[in-house]
Amino acid sequence: MRNISDQEIIDSVRKGNDSDYSIIVNRYKNKAFSMLKRMLKNEFDAEEVLQDCFLKAYNSLSAFKGEAKFSTWFYRIVYNTALTKMSSQKRRTESEMTSIEDHFNLESKYRSDEIERKDVNQLIRDTISKLPERYSAIITMFYLNEMSIEEISDVMGISISNVKVMLHRSRNSLRDLIMTSRFAEELL
Amino acid sequence: MIQITDEILNKYLDGELSREETEQVKSALRNSEKLQRKFNALKLVHEKLYHLKEDEVSPAFTDSLMKQIVRRKFSVPKQQKYFIFSIATFITLLCLVIFGFSISAIISSAPSSIGDSNSVFDSIPNLSDGLVEILKHLFSGAGLSIIGSIFSIVILISGYFFFEMQKRSKADLGNGQHL
Repeated sequence: MRNISDQEIIDSVRKGNDSDYSIIVNRYKNKAFSMLKRMLKNEFDAEEVLQDCFLKAYNSLSAFKGEAKFSTWFYRIVYNTALTKMSSQKRRTESEMTSIEDHFNLESKYRSDEIERKDVNQLIRDTISKLPERYSAIITMFYLNEMSIEEISDVMGISISNVKVMLHRSRNSLRDLIMTSRFAEELL
Repeated sequence: MIQITDEILNKYLDGELSREETEQVKSALRNSEKLQRKFNALKLVHEKLYHLKEDEVSPAFTDSLMKQIVRRKFSVPKQQKYFIFSIATFITLLCLVIFGFSISAIISSAPSSIGDSNSVFDSIPNLSDGLVEILKHLFSGAGLSIIGSIFSIVILISGYFFFEMQKRSKADLGNGQHL
């Protein structure tokens, strides 16, 4: 079966076929949920915000001109709604408020024996959630949602070089954590 | 010779270095076990991140969302409800005022006692004359200013609700388009 493009689905929804919107929902719900869960650090909030995002997107479909990809436009809604949620809950951590120049130490977020007990996949998965919100959002968009640096920069409203710096910083932190774990021995 | 920093290693991993720089990094990696270990760890992270699995929303998510969309589609927005309510209230009040004036006109122009008239219908031409007089009075001079003021207030209220609706839809668009 032919893979229907986002634009075709949107055109159909605009013509009044509301049920077609469920194709869009099914296409993006898990990816957006993964991003929200890592940003909000809470599964329940993530699902609630996701629902809000899909409703916002539906209500604003007429404003979507197709100049950018639908995914970029939609993730921008997701990212901004998550930021609004975080600021309304006053849950922005200090690390989130710091500039990208600041260093964050992920090792300190684990108990000494905790790193040793996890396998490498689990360690990386858990650690992404421990990154400051914007960093975990970048990691999710880049690796899981397979978005380009340019698209991420568009979604987050920051420069391409800042996205790169934040991506590299996240990777370096994860690398440092791996290097202190038992997996370090297997690296050569 | 470039200095092999974390930034350079990341760029090397992403294939963002020039051919000359790439060769220099390759040579540095061959000559330093520590650097090689660092790069391997970075590469491992990079590869593992590509195999991240999606988290899944609850199974009923799409159904519940679609139901909400249908429900919202057929429900009148709050501001629109207020707008319709205020207009309906104004029209009702206006009708009541006109009705009140008519009744008072009927009472004042009616014969002092029913016995003075042969029939109630005999007084109808007098009543309509009275009503016309009252309406004339209402739409001239001070009466007209009062009605004008009431209409202005209604227009202002409508304008407020219209502005609120515009503001809200702009904010919704802002979330998707500009922020």
